[in-house]
Amino acid sequence: MRVLGIINHFGIRVASEEFGIDAQGHITTASALFPDKAEMIYGTLASVIIFAGLWKFAGPQIAKGMKARTARIQKELDDAAADKAAAVAEAAQIRQAKGDIEAERARLLAAAQVQAQTVIEDGRLRLELEVTELEAKAAADVIAARARVFDELRAEIVRLSIAAVDQVVTGSLDEATHQRLIEDFISRVGASTAAGARS
Amino acid sequence: MSDPRIEGYARGLFEIARAENTLDEVEDELFRFARSFESSDALRNALTDEQIPAERRQAIVETLLGGKATRTTTQLISMIIGIGRGRELPQIIDELVERASSAKNLEVANVRVAIPLTEDQQQRLAAALANATGKQVNLKVVVDPSILGGVVATIGDTVIDGTVRTRIEQLKSRL
Repeated sequence: MRVLGIINHFGIRVASEEFGIDAQGHITTASALFPDKAEMIYGTLASVIIFAGLWKFAGPQIAKGMKARTARIQKELDDAAADKAAAVAEAAQIRQAKGDIEAERARLLAAAQVQAQTVIEDGRLRLELEVTELEAKAAADVIAARARVFDELRAEIVRLSIAAVDQVVTGSLDEATHQRLIEDFISRVGASTAAGARS
Repeated sequence: MSDPRIEGYARGLFEIARAENTLDEVEDELFRFARSFESSDALRNALTDEQIPAERRQAIVETLLGGKATRTTTQLISMIIGIGRGRELPQIIDELVERASSAKNLEVANVRVAIPLTEDQQQRLAAALANATGKQVNLKVVVDPSILGGVVATIGDTVIDGTVRTRIEQLKSRL
């Protein structure tokens, strides 16, 4: 009501202004800043009516829209919070998975180390076995080579002995030896009997 | 069992030599010639070469034996060579010697020595072989230096070996 009082007062003051008429007969206001009184009154009433209509009819819609907007914003906030929570959970999972990966890596490294150790051990045993076999084979080869050399040496000695026998015997067969061999043969054959003859 | 053809030739030679009354001498000469024939490649090739005319081969025989053997021996060998039986000559002669020995109830004793035997040694050896085998033997001595020394005697299937060559071979086997 105070506001209406002020408006009324101002309107009365404005209405108290005087109008003038220019040379062409047009009505002119005395103030360059304010319209005339009637226009002020009707304009104000129209504005009040419009504002009241707006308050009456558009206000609920606006309030409803604002509520919907608030709800939408709240929903977006909730969604953001949920997304944040999900992100936090996912981050936790990732961190856990990272921890699991570390554990798996450690486990794999340990298994690989064990396997490598086993392979190294097996390889060492196999190499030791091969070395043993090679040593045995080398020893057998040495024995065989020694036997072969001995056989060759023996054969060479026999060959030389035979050649020496041939030379010695042939060289020692003089006339007297021939005669002695013949006489020995005659004596030996003569001493034997028919039953003892060799064939 | 010997070849009938060889037996036939041997019987022919035997009858000729016996008819000539030179059997012992001819038999001995033929035996020696057979051994020479066996041991000499050059002689064997010359007398068995079909490319050489028979007359030429017979001339070789005449040249070789002329004055060194009886006429009968030379003619018999010349005949065998002339009819192209030179390759069978040793077998024919061995068969003749067997036949001659059988006729005298003797066993042929093929004796190989490195040096010639004296007459006395041949007699004592024949007696020794007769004692050892229980058979009277017709001693046929061949000088064969390849035996190096000693004596080897073959009577039928019996071999009595006392050669240096055999002893050396035995020694080689033992070595």
